[in-house]
Amino acid sequence: MGLLSGINQKKVFRKILAKSRGRLYRMAYAWTNNPALADDLVQQTYYKALRNQKQLRDIDAADAWLFRILANCLTDYYRARKELLSDDELVIIEKRTPEHEAHDEQLAQRVRQAVRSLPLSQCQIVTLVDLEGFAYAAVAQILDIPVGTVMSRLSRGRRALRERLLDVSSREVIQSPAKMRRIK
Amino acid sequence: MNRDGKVSEEQLNAFIDGELDTEDESQLFELADESPELDARLCQQRKLKEMVQHAYRDIPHGGTHGARNGSRARVLGLAIAALLLLATGVSVGWFTSFKLAPANNATAVAQSDTYLLHVTTSDPERMRIALRRADELMNGPGATDARRVEIVANESGLDLLRSDVTPFAGQIKALAAQDVLFFACNRAIARLESEGVQVKLVPEANADYSALDRVVLRLKQGWEYVKI
Repeated sequence: MGLLSGINQKKVFRKILAKSRGRLYRMAYAWTNNPALADDLVQQTYYKALRNQKQLRDIDAADAWLFRILANCLTDYYRARKELLSDDELVIIEKRTPEHEAHDEQLAQRVRQAVRSLPLSQCQIVTLVDLEGFAYAAVAQILDIPVGTVMSRLSRGRRALRERLLDVSSREVIQSPAKMRRIK
Repeated sequence: MNRDGKVSEEQLNAFIDGELDTEDESQLFELADESPELDARLCQQRKLKEMVQHAYRDIPHGGTHGARNGSRARVLGLAIAALLLLATGVSVGWFTSFKLAPANNATAVAQSDTYLLHVTTSDPERMRIALRRADELMNGPGATDARRVEIVANESGLDLLRSDVTPFAGQIKALAAQDVLFFACNRAIARLESEGVQVKLVPEANADYSALDRVVLRLKQGWEYVKI
């Protein structure tokens, strides 16, 4: 790679990085439900990304690379606190308070609570797919797991969410189903 | 997929997520046409996905937690804008050693006369290097009156600026007298305080910013970034 193309790549990378802060934060928040921790994780991600940007060979892969760093930062965080049980067992336990109960009335709060109650390995996949629209292959790359594992964990995660969030409405749907149509 | 309506959950998800090829997708549409139950399952999955997307649509972009005072929120917007401006060609140096970047390094092409040194470790030797580097920049060969140097400390590097911990209070005072500015990450302070640690800073330290915001601010302004 020539000097000029290297500099251009660096500019493009920083542009991507600049646009990613909100998305990284949203993801970190979804994974932790802890605003301060989410901030810290994003900060760590920035430092690591800036420090290691030369490791990024393909600028088109920058997005997945950043989220992979974020995922690694979270893993490091839990490992440092010996809180990592296993990929499938880690569940973020949140202390319940009357405030939480009040907020649960709102749909968004209920959904976020359900998402964060998933084991982390499922939570990460559901949010990477649903919030960021990553393809399964990209999620596999970000989390360093096989695509098949992505699919199975996604299924388990969504099943759990469905049971929590659509339990009542699902029966209604089956009784009077809305038809899904292909839209061209 | 078969015609008895037994479509796996993985296949349903792949459909919802656009992971199926055209042929499989068409087949699933046909099956859903014939099976109200399958159709309902697909609608459920799509609804669930949309609920998750909706739940995080209005999540703030972060950077508003752990600040010691109100200045951080103000800086946040600037910080985001700052990184956007990086794409316009700000030159950033990434040094990890005491020496300046080599001449063939792209970052050396347009060296600025403003330096931000970033300390993230409580290793006294690294702290010493940061202070020595600041001193050399201010007083060494090539130093000018226009040269400006800042030291930002966060994570365990905050120890550098904690008055009851730092072994370098004298050097900090001397450098501050030469207009070197010191910044203690307000988020690192908040974290320590939340753990019950009473944080006392040396009088030369400013705690108005998070380390990230200060770094981003200076990058925007074209400062050289030096990770110690």
